[in-house]
Amino acid sequence: MPDILSRHRPLALLAGLILVQVLLLAFQIKREHDVRLVRYWAVQLLTPGERAGTWSFSKVSGIWSSYVGLRDTRSENQRLKTEVEQLRMRNRELESRAAEGQRLAVLMNFREAHPEAPMIAAQVIGASADPTSHILFINRGERDRIRRNLAVITADGVVGKIVEVFPSSAQVLLINDKESGVGALFADTRTHGVVKGSADSNPHMEYVQNDEKVQPGQTILTSGEDRIFPKDLSIGTVESAAAGNPFQVIRVKPAARLDRLEEVLVLMSQQELAPKRAEEASSALSSPQNRQMGASQTALPSAAAQKPPNRKSTVTGDANKSKPAASAAGAPQTAPPDNPPATVPNPPAPQR
Amino acid sequence: MLSAGARSDSNIEVHRYYSGTVLIVAFLSLVLQAFLHKYGRWAELLDLPLLVTIYFGVSRRNPVTGMFLGAAIGLLQDAVGHAYPIGMYGIAKTSVGYVASSFGARIDTEHPVSRFGLVFLLFHFHQVVLAMTQRVLLNHPAPFFTLQLLVDSLVSAALAVILFALLDRLRRSS
Repeated sequence: MPDILSRHRPLALLAGLILVQVLLLAFQIKREHDVRLVRYWAVQLLTPGERAGTWSFSKVSGIWSSYVGLRDTRSENQRLKTEVEQLRMRNRELESRAAEGQRLAVLMNFREAHPEAPMIAAQVIGASADPTSHILFINRGERDRIRRNLAVITADGVVGKIVEVFPSSAQVLLINDKESGVGALFADTRTHGVVKGSADSNPHMEYVQNDEKVQPGQTILTSGEDRIFPKDLSIGTVESAAAGNPFQVIRVKPAARLDRLEEVLVLMSQQELAPKRAEEASSALSSPQNRQMGASQTALPSAAAQKPPNRKSTVTGDANKSKPAASAAGAPQTAPPDNPPATVPNPPAPQR
Repeated sequence: MLSAGARSDSNIEVHRYYSGTVLIVAFLSLVLQAFLHKYGRWAELLDLPLLVTIYFGVSRRNPVTGMFLGAAIGLLQDAVGHAYPIGMYGIAKTSVGYVASSFGARIDTEHPVSRFGLVFLLFHFHQVVLAMTQRVLLNHPAPFFTLQLLVDSLVSAALAVILFALLDRLRRSS
């Protein structure tokens, strides 16, 4: 470079001299917006460089953040996935516990509302492997004084009865099983019948005459005549009713959610449940889950008070034993418990 | 530097002048140019500083000296006028000084015809540089060539033949 300058010294001087004068002009000349030409040139000269620098920096930083900085991302991602899975499991566990707590609270409310009836809470631990039978296993057995033919209920309504007892567990026959039968009556008309399991998932109420007016939504209660379920427990509501031969075909929607049972109550005696006290009923009704139960419970006193003089059908505790003919013959229609119920001591029932 | 004559490294004859001659002549050309502008449009036909620049550039035959002389005369011409920002004539006359010196070192510039032709060409070269500078820096659509410029260049060239003969008398005898 110095060689070239010395070789072409006059030309270099000419260029320098002209450049100096151009700069002199640039300092004097103003362009748009009163910007001096030299400043305009400087900006024009520097902006591409700045733009190129910014672009290069952003590319380099992008490469760094996209590739080099992500070296540990895979392992971190794996760790976070594991952590998320653990948290999900923990969340599910907590949700399950919360739901269980709510269900137990409902049962506790129910039990406290009926101190006169000895009952024991049990947890559903299994079900029948046979899809055609509706059987549950609970975690209470002989050690807990569980016996055959004890009623199993929830706060919503009747669930079934104990059919087999083992040392630490028991088998419960649900009311929608084909072998099951529950003495029942309509809450409003007090017409009697038998709620039996059927081929479908919902039980039917049988032995109701065709001339009896049955409307969907009618409440069905236990009649107490099977000597297993105390009187006036909620069984369910009429889902549909149609004339049949010789009796009506009445589909019943169980009050208890038989397909989602997790905790139940085993009634240790057949003692009738007293109506709830007002404050207990209100606390039990506070949760949506309890509303149906509360409604059925509030129906108890009126239902109990309205006993019709005529009973149109008889009931049995066992389906194959429950025959209308037997009722007509005056034979015992119910299957009494094998052993006298050993009740869990509870406060005495309030005087009704 | 401008007053003392310098000898070129080449074998071409370099004319020398009495001390202060170049400065005084340049100064007088600027004063006369400004003075003549007061007396009508005909004065615009002449560009005495340009003729002085060409004359001394050709005589000295040194591009560096010629360009500095042109720069000085041009900047002074810009300074005394208000038409353009300082540097417009400076750039043009710097270029003319450089080119005139380069020509002077290569061709015979003593003959009146060659002087007429040289001045004619350098007049238009001066105009081209001036117009380009105005277009680029000032965004003025200055013309490169017009009929008026042609007349001006012819008048200037004719006057230059006379002026250069007068200025030849200021040379120091070797």
